[in-house]
Amino acid sequence: MDLDRFNRLLLESAGVGLALADAGSLAVRFTNPRFLEWFPGAQDAPLDELLAGIDVDRMRTRLDGGQAYRTDLELKVNRRSLTVAVDVTRHADEGADLLVVECQNITKLKELEYMVESYSKMVERQNRDLRKEKERVEKLLLNIMPRSIYEEWKEFGVTAPQRFDQAAVLMLDFVNSTEMDIAADPPALVAELNDIFTSFDRIVEQFGGDRLKTIGDAYMAVCGVPDPGGDDARNIARIAVRLIRYLQRRNASQANQWIARIGINVGPVVGSIIGVQKYVYDIFGPGVGLASRLEALSGPMEITLAEDLYDQIRDDVVVTERGEVELKGFGRKRVYTLDGMTDLDEGWLR
Amino acid sequence: MPRSILERYGGFPFLSRVVMAFYDRVLDSDALAPYFEDVDMRRLIDHQTKFIAFLMGGPASYTNDHLRHVHDRLGIDEASFEVMISTMTETLEEFDMEAADISAVLAELRSRAPWIITAPGAEPAHAGA
Repeated sequence: MDLDRFNRLLLESAGVGLALADAGSLAVRFTNPRFLEWFPGAQDAPLDELLAGIDVDRMRTRLDGGQAYRTDLELKVNRRSLTVAVDVTRHADEGADLLVVECQNITKLKELEYMVESYSKMVERQNRDLRKEKERVEKLLLNIMPRSIYEEWKEFGVTAPQRFDQAAVLMLDFVNSTEMDIAADPPALVAELNDIFTSFDRIVEQFGGDRLKTIGDAYMAVCGVPDPGGDDARNIARIAVRLIRYLQRRNASQANQWIARIGINVGPVVGSIIGVQKYVYDIFGPGVGLASRLEALSGPMEITLAEDLYDQIRDDVVVTERGEVELKGFGRKRVYTLDGMTDLDEGWLR
Repeated sequence: MPRSILERYGGFPFLSRVVMAFYDRVLDSDALAPYFEDVDMRRLIDHQTKFIAFLMGGPASYTNDHLRHVHDRLGIDEASFEVMISTMTETLEEFDMEAADISAVLAELRSRAPWIITAPGAEPAHAGA
């Protein structure tokens, strides 16, 4: 086979579309079959007519500057969308000034590119959804355990129970809620309790405490668990005063009277996540038990504390002493009713 | 959580080959290609990627409303839908998927028929159910 014939065969069967055009007039001088398949048209049509969509000015500027002109063209061949990469270079020698047009079918590349784009968008979206879901779960978990415990649990999968010698504990319950006519309007009652506990949470947070849990209409908060704060004893007393003040104000303008009693105490407790399937961060121990006994000693809208806490905050509180009382499990203790705090705005209860 | 079909067959590299093969088959099919003559290639690939990923339990979700929306203007009839099912079957078989997995993908696809078949008068009685 001679070289000419070989070259012609190569041009005719190549997967690349090839054309030669006059650099000045853009008249097409030669096309191979592939080029005509993609850009059907008259044999002597100018290049810019065959290659609809090319930017002739830009092409001329680049070619005049000795650079190649490249562009992608979208075509429709036999119902199929094709993307063809067009590459035009200028070759001037032996008196001829010609443009060589080389076209490659990059449809598969484009298709893959679109596919990757589409898939990565899906994955991004999924990641966003997962992140949102994770935040939601985190928020839920932070409702049942303090953040530092949650961080520990997240990192290690377990949390070790911790002992706190000076946990400040507040127990509150409502003395009259059992008498309220819940049959009359249960949703309204729950809405009111929600409203009250939400306000309680804000007050507790304001003084660096944590609401641990509510059981029915009972409310329990701590200061210094799991992170001792230095002023936990005073803060628990401040919280107690503010809770009562809040209820006083609320009762003044509402039909339902919510009458609470509170016990506050400092003492040793153990804090831990309790439960395997249904877990909750909880504390227990003498510090909690005593707060609970003191709450039971409180009259309506009263705050009771014992000598353990009083001795720590005596300089900042005004109390009514109630003498020694036998407290089951704790022996005889001096107990006090808290009347107000000297270092707190609106810190007086009577 | 059990791994999805897509995960078990290798994720995106597998999906891309299936989508590409399916896309080629659809556009080579005299019955199916006419539907997509005026559809932008980018959109068609985007839809096929997401939908096939979804059929294989991948990271996409398709509501019936969305499916109805993308097929609304195509007016696909029941016969064409059947051709599409067999085209999908051939494609999946070509990739050596296990029969059980192919059935799962096809069952998911069939369950969405009421929202894909959009030719006037072809709406099955249980559409919207």
